[in-house]
Amino acid sequence: MTSRILVVDDDTALAEMIGIVLRTEGFDPVFCGDGAAAVDAWRTERPDLVLLDLMLPGMDGIEICTRIRSESGVPIIMLTARTDTADVVRGLESGADDYIVKPFNPKELVARIRTRLRPGADAPSETLRVGDVVVDVAAHEVRRGSEAIALTPLEFELLVALASKPQQVFSREMLLEQVWGYHYKADTRLVNVHVQRLRAKVEVDPDNPKIVTTVRGVGYRAGAVV
Amino acid sequence: MSAPTASIPVTGGWRDWRPWLRHLAGTWRTSLRFRTLALTLALTAFTILGAFVTMALAIQNDLFESRVDQVQTAVARAMASTQDTLSSAQTDGDSAALEDLMKATLTSMTRQAGTTMIAAVRVSNDPSVIAPQDRYQGGIQPEMISPGLRESVERDVEQRWWQSIGLPTDNGSERPGVVVGQQAVFPDVGAYEFYFAYDLDSEAQTLRFVQVTLWLVGTVLIILIGAISWVVLRTVTVPIARAAETSATLAAGDLLGRSFNAMADSIESQIKELAELSLVQQRFVSDVSHELRTPLTTIRLASDMLNDQRDTFDATTARAAELLHAQVQRFEVLLTDLLEISRYDAGSVQLENEPTSLAHLAEDVIASMQQLADQHGTDVRLVAPGGYSPVDMDPRRVRRIVRNLLGNAIEHGEGRPIVVTVDSNQNAVALGVRDYGLGMSSADSERVFDRFWRADPSRKRTIGGTGLGLSIALGDARLHGGTLSVWSDLGRGTNFVLTLPRQGGALGATSPIAVDPGDDGAALEELGLTQPIPIPHITTTPEGTA
Repeated sequence: MTSRILVVDDDTALAEMIGIVLRTEGFDPVFCGDGAAAVDAWRTERPDLVLLDLMLPGMDGIEICTRIRSESGVPIIMLTARTDTADVVRGLESGADDYIVKPFNPKELVARIRTRLRPGADAPSETLRVGDVVVDVAAHEVRRGSEAIALTPLEFELLVALASKPQQVFSREMLLEQVWGYHYKADTRLVNVHVQRLRAKVEVDPDNPKIVTTVRGVGYRAGAVV
Repeated sequence: MSAPTASIPVTGGWRDWRPWLRHLAGTWRTSLRFRTLALTLALTAFTILGAFVTMALAIQNDLFESRVDQVQTAVARAMASTQDTLSSAQTDGDSAALEDLMKATLTSMTRQAGTTMIAAVRVSNDPSVIAPQDRYQGGIQPEMISPGLRESVERDVEQRWWQSIGLPTDNGSERPGVVVGQQAVFPDVGAYEFYFAYDLDSEAQTLRFVQVTLWLVGTVLIILIGAISWVVLRTVTVPIARAAETSATLAAGDLLGRSFNAMADSIESQIKELAELSLVQQRFVSDVSHELRTPLTTIRLASDMLNDQRDTFDATTARAAELLHAQVQRFEVLLTDLLEISRYDAGSVQLENEPTSLAHLAEDVIASMQQLADQHGTDVRLVAPGGYSPVDMDPRRVRRIVRNLLGNAIEHGEGRPIVVTVDSNQNAVALGVRDYGLGMSSADSERVFDRFWRADPSRKRTIGGTGLGLSIALGDARLHGGTLSVWSDLGRGTNFVLTLPRQGGALGATSPIAVDPGDDGAALEELGLTQPIPIPHITTTPEGTA
């Protein structure tokens, strides 16, 4: 099955070029050049992944990201020309899973997309327990008691990565490699922001995390089972 | 509320006087006006108190003495006329006649002495049937006449004696009084002592009135003097304080600054204009860099695709695709560097510090550049006697500096070994990159940090640097509060030393690594490639490995 990818970019040349690259790699790209129409395009096309330019006419990328995120956990990768801290963090906080800085090369783009589209990776298909939360890996489901917690695929993967090795402390670099597929030094803010988002959903009290605990100076670890 | 909570404010209030006292002491030390006022008031109050007490005592004495004089005169007159009457009286030893005489005497005395409190006491203790009884009339009591007074009166026939006494009042207290005594001789029965008691109540009232008046006047005086001194002090100290302030501002240069304000304002507005212009320029560079990124991305994607498929092209087109690909990459690096520089210019760079071991970082960078070193046939050695313990730095930027220095060294090192040294002292950590290449003249080495400056335009370029690398490295070093210095000598090579301060500290006077390697002008040829390279103050020389 070919994955459908929605490319939201107002620069037609770049959009077309990205389309060429994606088609060569066997994806099915669809396009939207207008920020205001992006959310509707996403609703009608139901893509497997969204490539989203941050600077758009009509509605800016962050707003689009927030709206899509409120309805779906679909993987979103931001395209940005600015590497300034504030911009990237704002994008990630609005729900983007990953970001690529312009100019990028085709291999990088495809690698990012494939990582986000890969199925549940090599995680053990069993039931994991973290704190008072149960993770059903096969069913892609997280529950606290009878209450189901909706996570995006990325957040789910992050939680499974931590929960499958409850004894291990994961450094941000390890998580970047395992969850985001970065094999070189990458932006650790990705981890920080997504751990915050995950905590906001799974923790009873996000200020006093029990599911994803911080190990000061090292990284993160799954909370003890209760 | 319960009792304990109610009692808290009370104890709190009790302790309040301590800070208050401290505050007062503080004011005493710091305020000249307060000190002067307090001293003036205290001295004035003391003086007025002394004067008024003296005055009150004098008035009291005077009042008392004049009253006593008056009383004495009255008694003397009464006694004189009494004695006359008694001397001429004919009683003939008749007790009734004597009794009548006594009554008449007392009545006349009362009239003449001006007091009803009169006592008559017979001097002689010999019993006599005809002698009239001792008499106490008008409220005078026997205990009011002290034995001392009686003794004096009995002893001296002619003399009058007086004494201050307390007269009982109705409510049990005493009012001041005086008693005067003298003898008078009765016919047939001998001498009688007569005592006249006078009440000094009106004098006491006058005295009380005077005293109250004095107190009132004294208080008003003190308040008035206080107010006057305050006003006078103000008129004196305000100009003094103003003068002191003025001299202080003069000393601080404020006054001078103010007088230059007009001039400074125009200069400032010009500087502002220039700064705005510079800001506009920086923003422009930043915007251009960003705007260029989108088309560059398209070009990059296209050139990468073409390059990937160049095997299917004919030789010329394949080469064209290859060149396009390489130059797009170069263009991209240039753009990134330009953007970075514009960030420094705009002052919008923020460090993302984390504890980092400089020695390990150097090891990583050497490993990552091993391939490039191998291409140039260069042996990169790491000598790290120190610098292992983590120091706060932005590892991304420091890595970029080291990569840049090492890249330059490999490019200009003529294939000779390169020595990377890491060391530390208590103030700083440092990293040196020494190559034994051609080196530069001192004039050239002064310009290595200039943007787009190249030591020798004719020199072969293999790494494809942008000419901004060292400027960025210097910017990064300064951002850390550190330094990047260079030593270079023609024929002896070049040594770059990066020095970074430890956590929040200042750099010491000397870097842990000397910029001038001081190897006596010996070029590498003389040292020989296989011989160890002498680095001063290094004991062990572990080889840097991948």
